[in-house]
This record gives sequence, C-alpha cells and structure tokens, in this order.
Amino acid sequence: MSKVLIVDDEPHLRLLLQQALEELEDEGVELLLACDGEEALEQIQTEDPNLVFLDVMMPKQNGFEVCNTVKKVWNQQDTYIIMLTAKGQEFDKQKGMQVGADIYMTKPFDPDLVIQKAREVLGLA
Amino acid sequence: MAEKISLKKLLARKDIRELIVQFEAVSAGGYEIYPDEERGEQPGQGTSLYPCFPVKIYEQTLGWVAGEARGASFLTALLTFFAKEEYEKKALGRETLERYKEINVLYEIAAKLAATLDTADVARLVLAETQRIICSDFIQVMILNEKTGQLDISAASAADKSKSGRFFIDMGIAQQVAFSGRAEIIDSVATDPRLSHRSQTGSLLYAPLKNQDRVIGVIGLSSHIPAKYTSGDLKLLSAIALHAALAIENAKLYEQLREDFINTVRSLAEAIEKRDPYTGDHTRRVMEYSLAIGARLNLSPGQLKKLEMAAVLHDIGKIGVRDSILLKPDRLTDDEFAEIKRHAGLGGEILRHIKPLADILPGIKQHHERFDGKGYPEQLAGEDIHLLARIIAVADAFDAMLTDRPYRKGLPFEKALQELTANAGTQFDPQVVEAFMQVQAEQTEAMRRKEGLL
Repeated sequence: MSKVLIVDDEPHLRLLLQQALEELEDEGVELLLACDGEEALEQIQTEDPNLVFLDVMMPKQNGFEVCNTVKKVWNQQDTYIIMLTAKGQEFDKQKGMQVGADIYMTKPFDPDLVIQKAREVLGLA
Repeated sequence: MAEKISLKKLLARKDIRELIVQFEAVSAGGYEIYPDEERGEQPGQGTSLYPCFPVKIYEQTLGWVAGEARGASFLTALLTFFAKEEYEKKALGRETLERYKEINVLYEIAAKLAATLDTADVARLVLAETQRIICSDFIQVMILNEKTGQLDISAASAADKSKSGRFFIDMGIAQQVAFSGRAEIIDSVATDPRLSHRSQTGSLLYAPLKNQDRVIGVIGLSSHIPAKYTSGDLKLLSAIALHAALAIENAKLYEQLREDFINTVRSLAEAIEKRDPYTGDHTRRVMEYSLAIGARLNLSPGQLKKLEMAAVLHDIGKIGVRDSILLKPDRLTDDEFAEIKRHAGLGGEILRHIKPLADILPGIKQHHERFDGKGYPEQLAGEDIHLLARIIAVADAFDAMLTDRPYRKGLPFEKALQELTANAGTQFDPQVVEAFMQVQAEQTEAMRRKEGLL
C-alpha cells in the first residue's frame, strides 16, 4: 500500500493538501501528516512513505534539512520529495538540487496539479 | 450530505482506538462495533445478543454499536462526536480547497492578463479561465462599443461544443447590466418576464466589466440548470471581471498608442513626400522591395514590422536638404552631392527623439553605407552595417536605377538586376542581393505562368 506524507507547519495547508489528495484514500493510499521537520523525519523512518510533500519554511528543521537527511544521509532515493515553497519568496533552486529534492511546487499550488503529480509518482492511473 | 465519513477510518485512528480500549477496560466488558458504510442497516437478528445503537450524523448512519445498553450508548455518543468532528473538518477542508482553487485561478488570471495586450486575447483568456472555475454551459464576453453604445460579442464558448446552439446569453439583459453596472443572477429563465420569449430553461449570471465605475463590457454565463448560480459565484465572477476590465482597458490603450504611433510615422513619411513627389512613390516601392527581401530572408513578423517602418522613413532626412538641391532637375555638383549625402545622418537625428524607433534608426542612418566600407556617412562595412540598412540599400538602389531622371534615363529592368549582381560583395551584401534575385525570379516565373495561361 502506498503512503503519502504531508509536511507543513500551517494547519490549513495540511488540511488543504489532505483534501486535494483525498480521492487517493479510496484507492488504498494512506495519507500521513507531520507538522514540523522532526516529526517528518520520524514518520519517514517509521512509515517509509513513497511520496513526501515537504514545506520549506518550517520551525525546528526546515525542509532543506529534512530533505538532506532523507536523500543524502539516509540515502533514501526511493522517497520522492516535492518541496513546497511560497510564491514571492524565491525558491533557492540550487539548494533544492543540492539536498536532492525531486521537484518543487510554488504555493498557492494548483490542487489539480498536486493530485496529478501524486498519481504519477505513485503509479496510479 | 456532502461529506462521506467512514467509521472504519475513524476506528483506524490511534487515538480513538486507545480510547475504546480504555473504555472497555473501565466498563463492564466488550462491545461490538459494526462499521457499515454500504448498507446503513442494523445488523441482522442473531448477529448480536445485545441491543444495537446507530452511529448517526446528519441522517447518515455510519454503523452500529452493540453491547450492554449503558456502555454501548455512551460509546455510540463518543463515536458520533468524533464522526461529527471529522465531518466538520472535512467540510472545512473542502471549503478551503474551493477557496484556494479560486485564489489560484485569480492569481493565474491576473498574471496571464498582465502579459496580454490584445483585446481579443484578453477576452479569450477570461473566457477560458472562467470556464475552469464557474460551472456553466455557455460563456460570453461582450465589450461596449464606444461608437454605437452597443455591446459587441468579443468571445463566446460552450462547454460542450456540440450543444452550443442550445444556450444563449440574453443581450437585452446584458445591456441592462452594462447600463446599471450591477451584476445579476437570473435563477429561472422560464419565469423571468424579460425572457418570456425564450423557450429555454435554466439560469444566467452576469457581471459588468468595470473600470472606476465606468462599464466597458459584460461577461455572461448560462447554465441549463435553474437556480445554478449562488452569491459566491457572483462574487467570484465579479473578481474575475475586475481583472478583465483592467486588462481590456490596458489592451485598448496599448492598441490606441500603437495606432497613434504608426500614424505619426505615416505623417512623417508624408511630410517628405509633399516636398518631393519623386520621393513619395520611391518610398512606397522601396518599402515593397524591402519587405519582399525581408520575407525571403525569413525575418520574424516583428523584424518585418521594423523593416517596413525603416523603409518608409529611410529618406526622411531629405526634409533637411535645401530645395535648390533636393528638387534640382540637373545633375548635382560635387558640393551639392555632399549636401544631399547628409540626409542619411539627418534622418537619424530627426528621429532619435522617438524611443520606439530606436531599433530602426540604424536602418535609416546606414542605408547609404556600402558592404565594402566605401559608403557614407560612417564608412561601416560588412555586417557592421545593420541588416535593415543592407536590405534597404539594395531596394533603394534598384528603384533609383529604374527611375528616369531629367538628366538621365532609367535603366531597363534586366540591366538594373545585372548591376545589382555586379556590385554584390562591393556595394551590396551578396546575401541580400541573392534574396532579391530569388524574389525577382519568382515574380517573373509567376508572370510567365500567368501569361501562359491567358
């Protein structure tokens, strides 16, 4: 069974992503939530999600640090990481590349694009 | 019942599972919970010896709890509480997502519109984006024609093309919306007295495109479902209309500016024609030759536009040349020739104040430079001479050779072409001459074919 982890410190954005991805639950995908970097790493370790939506700006550990730990320290290349960044705050693409993020999306994100990308990554039609 | 709540999913939650375990520990004993998403029915007789309590929210039965009456009813209440909480969270989530989609669309519309400077493009874009967020069978963008006072349809589109004939946006009501400047929802086409002549049913939604209280157009949506549109839709459409109105106004101003600019250029060109009628026809022919060469050289539409302007204005500097020289019927003396040579540079000086013409100035200033560097005014050579100027030079020289002057007869067509070829690489850019030859060959060929047919 596929798992998707949503990491964002803002409750409404977690809710939003959860809602955007809701239809996946009917296809057996489990949605997991984390509200900061530490919790995200915990969940990635214990639940091993296939796909992570990772906010960049977060307290404790930011998205770059989390991504770096997963991709570079643990060398978990199978964990697909989508970085989320707010529009206006220019995403540091180079840094994203360095820490091994797969792609990034800007907020406000297009909900249709979110579900489309998730389906693609999880191999669901 | 908008949200679907699954008792099974609730029971899978760790916190709820633990609560149930704790409750079972402190109460009399075990309870059976039947999550029943499909049937919503009470478990059949014999499934349980105990009484069954339904977990129900908003008339939807999610499942049943069976067991010792007091404990089971408490557990039912607890699960109902969680289910309700889940329901509200979901409803909130859905609402947030809807708003979020709207913001996203508005954001995209604003960004796309800011980059659009053509009224028709703006109308099409507004149409497409509106279709994405407000459910409709048919949408129409109408723009107020300032001359007639009527609304012109600028863009229209049906969600399902095969049914496009079945929907309509009533223009009479659109006119009223344009007049009042207020958005309007018509819940039922069938019962609205203004629409009694229509046989259709359904509902309509209109919003004015307004710029500082001035209506410049109307956007109208139509649906076959009566009472389809809510005040939320109206608000959203009004927000889109606000962006659209701004963009349309911008596009109109831009179009006006361009038209004014082109007319200014035309006036300038005419000024020289009025002084020297020879220049007038010459200018037109040079422009035509130049554009033919430019097209042959695969210039982009933007470059061709510049080439056209440069060609039209290439002799504008002659305005600054004295009549006694400019209009002299006889051959010019060396001094007089030196004077007339100034026109290339003068053209550049006259036009240098006009910013949008900055790109084409070299085409004017350098049109008497020679490919071998022996031209004027700056003795530029080869590709240092602007492409526009290299093209105009060929067109200009060719036309001059053909034209009769009081002191000499013009060359025959074939002879003039030979002259161009002979001077390719010295006076002219060989590639430009080559392109011009190809254009001429094509035209001759086309003429022959035409004659052959006659």
